[in-house]
Amino acid sequence: MIRKEAIKIASDAVANSPIISANGYISRDLFETNDKETNFYMIGSMGLSSSIALGVALKNPRKRVYVFDGDGNILMNLGSLTTIGKLKPKNLIHLVFDNQSHESTGGQPSNTKNIDIYKIAKSCNYKSFKTTSKVGLKKILSKTKNIGGPVMILIKINKGGMPGKRIIHSPPTIKKRFSQKLNKQR
Amino acid sequence: MFDLLLRKGVENFIGVPDSTMKHFISQGLKKKKILITTREEEAIGIAAGMSLSKQCSLVFMQNAGFANSISTITSLIQLYEFPIIFLIGWRGYLKNDAPEHYKIGRIQPDLIKLIGLDSKTVTESNWKECCQWAINKINHSIPCALILRREFHD
Repeated sequence: MIRKEAIKIASDAVANSPIISANGYISRDLFETNDKETNFYMIGSMGLSSSIALGVALKNPRKRVYVFDGDGNILMNLGSLTTIGKLKPKNLIHLVFDNQSHESTGGQPSNTKNIDIYKIAKSCNYKSFKTTSKVGLKKILSKTKNIGGPVMILIKINKGGMPGKRIIHSPPTIKKRFSQKLNKQR
Repeated sequence: MFDLLLRKGVENFIGVPDSTMKHFISQGLKKKKILITTREEEAIGIAAGMSLSKQCSLVFMQNAGFANSISTITSLIQLYEFPIIFLIGWRGYLKNDAPEHYKIGRIQPDLIKLIGLDSKTVTESNWKECCQWAINKINHSIPCALILRREFHD
């Protein structure tokens, strides 16, 4: 399974819940496969998608808030796992698309070939799941719809495929439409 | 200062502690309004998320943390136009502060100006006006910074 396939499966399953997506190809793939007002594309500030999602989750306890994170991204902000684990937001679902590399910058290796994010998340009070297949991912996504978080879904993916299109919305537009939708649905 | 900002509608206080503002943080902890994070950038991310829910947030940090946060301020806060108040402790303001604070203390005012972050330095006599100034900025969706000078040694 490559990143774009995994992102398509996950964003279809998430439906209209808010998604905060990591910078680089993850946001671009999400934009190309399933552009929605409920997507917040974080195009800079690498590492912070889980923190932004934590802020959204704490203030919107009735909504399931999803993070579409990457291995390079979460490694830059591992402290975030401890803050999330301390606060235990029941409505935070943290997906990590792990291709063991920085694919957006040319495929350089990341540390997750040797280090298991699943185990780190577990010791940070997450309910952790792991999959390498499309069927497995669909199963976990439907199972986790009804359990209290924080939930971590580690999705081991392969490198490859064409990167998604660049996001055409301006950052203030991304913020405005996300925020309007979030506060309307509240 | 904490009580005034809270009364004026700041709902979330997130950051990494600095001894320059220990009384501010103690007051916030007493009122159960403080969230301590592992790094300053993480605090800024959480504040941005809360701001998406139309909540007014303040991020506190020492100037060492401000230096850590420059990319996050430019590529998240300013890029998306998130209205957030920064409260930054100015270590190295006094010439004889600890050596690790000299350089950042010296270049801090220029750095803040260079990235285009509107700021005011808080004193004994102007703190109320400074708080009101910051609230007005936020109401116009402009991020801003309040600077607290370190005027004591411990």
